[in-house]
Amino acid sequence: MNKKYEKLIAEYFGSELSEEKKAEIEKLMASGEIDLIDFKAMEQLHDELDMVAVPEPSPEMSNRFYQMLEEEKASTRSSSNINIVEKLNELFAAITMPKLAYAFVLLIVGAFIGSWVGNSNSELEELTTQMQAMREMMVVSMLEGASTTDRLRAVNISAELPTADEKAVRALLFTLSNDESTNVRVQAIETLKKWSEDERVREGLVNAIGVQESDIVIIALADAMIELGLERSKTEFENLMKERQLNVSVKEKLQNTIAAL
Amino acid sequence: MMKVKDGDLDKLGLLFERYNRLLYSFFYKKTFQPEVSEDLVQSVFERMLKYRSTYSGSGAFTTWMFSIARNAHIDHYRKHKKHNEKEELDEERIVGSNPEFGEIDERTKRKRILELALARLEEDKKEVVILSRYEGLKYAEIAEIQGVTESAVKVRFFRAMKDLKGIAHTLSEEYSDE
Repeated sequence: MNKKYEKLIAEYFGSELSEEKKAEIEKLMASGEIDLIDFKAMEQLHDELDMVAVPEPSPEMSNRFYQMLEEEKASTRSSSNINIVEKLNELFAAITMPKLAYAFVLLIVGAFIGSWVGNSNSELEELTTQMQAMREMMVVSMLEGASTTDRLRAVNISAELPTADEKAVRALLFTLSNDESTNVRVQAIETLKKWSEDERVREGLVNAIGVQESDIVIIALADAMIELGLERSKTEFENLMKERQLNVSVKEKLQNTIAAL
Repeated sequence: MMKVKDGDLDKLGLLFERYNRLLYSFFYKKTFQPEVSEDLVQSVFERMLKYRSTYSGSGAFTTWMFSIARNAHIDHYRKHKKHNEKEELDEERIVGSNPEFGEIDERTKRKRILELALARLEEDKKEVVILSRYEGLKYAEIAEIQGVTESAVKVRFFRAMKDLKGIAHTLSEEYSDE
């Protein structure tokens, strides 16, 4: 029976009815031209559709996106003219990286031979400490590199360090405030979050808010502040909103963050 | 998106943060497959980058985005040639991972019936329901995405709801016998 009025009923469910048409539909229901029982059953089903739940996507989805974006940016850059400074930096990175990698491999081989020959716990501990020191040195050195991919890799390596070394923390905080790549900065926040028990890290994260230009980094910092419950960051966000012309959605996000904190 | 088109690729990150869940929800309700939905979200953003020069900025960004999403979904099933098995797979997934109907409460039972009914709906009708009911798009926008008239979308929506009601009713009867 309602087939004749299918467009009108669809407009009702799509909340696209004018006052005039609303009155028309009520009149049709009153006169029985629209089957009320059929209509109400459809309305109930329309409301019940809220029950269909969607699970959370995995963090891998976000990682894949940013990796793809980074690759696209790299290929765009390589196709455009690279200035001389960048060329020199790349050359420098090309010279230092293989050397560091070679040293790292030698150290691993040394550790293996050492454990095989000596089998002494103290020696192993010493070697483990040396390996960590080497890793930290690699991280600090790679963070100074010219290539975004290398710096991103450095931040990822630092995330695997068991403890927060002062040099690595300092380098990551410097990266968070100064790196030209948004993705490197966002990744640095993720790594620093893991060391949030360290007061230097918490203080550094809060202090980094004021120097950020990128909306994505500001949003990532806002999420981190909520996750870590760092109430003192409220002042930084308030200052940011006062001093800057922020994007509407970012402003909204910060207002929500302040309210949540 | 205009900034992405002009070469500021970092702005795509902002679009990702704003729309990735919306797109994921769109694909999940179409497929009920979390991994495939994630792949399709990635595919949409890859296509946005690839075809960024074609973005004119004249219509709503969401319309352009869902048009890309729709094509990504069609291409995915064309490529994997699983379209005929899809509904069966969706139903297996919804029913298979859950306890027997007799063991669950009424609300959960109703939820599963609605999910199964949605999975059984014809693709174009299902899409209209998802875009209108869940994503809040206007019929005119859906018409642009599906390449049909606004009037046709309204008819499609009404018939989708009618089919959904019928399927849900049949399923309720089937499961009340269990």
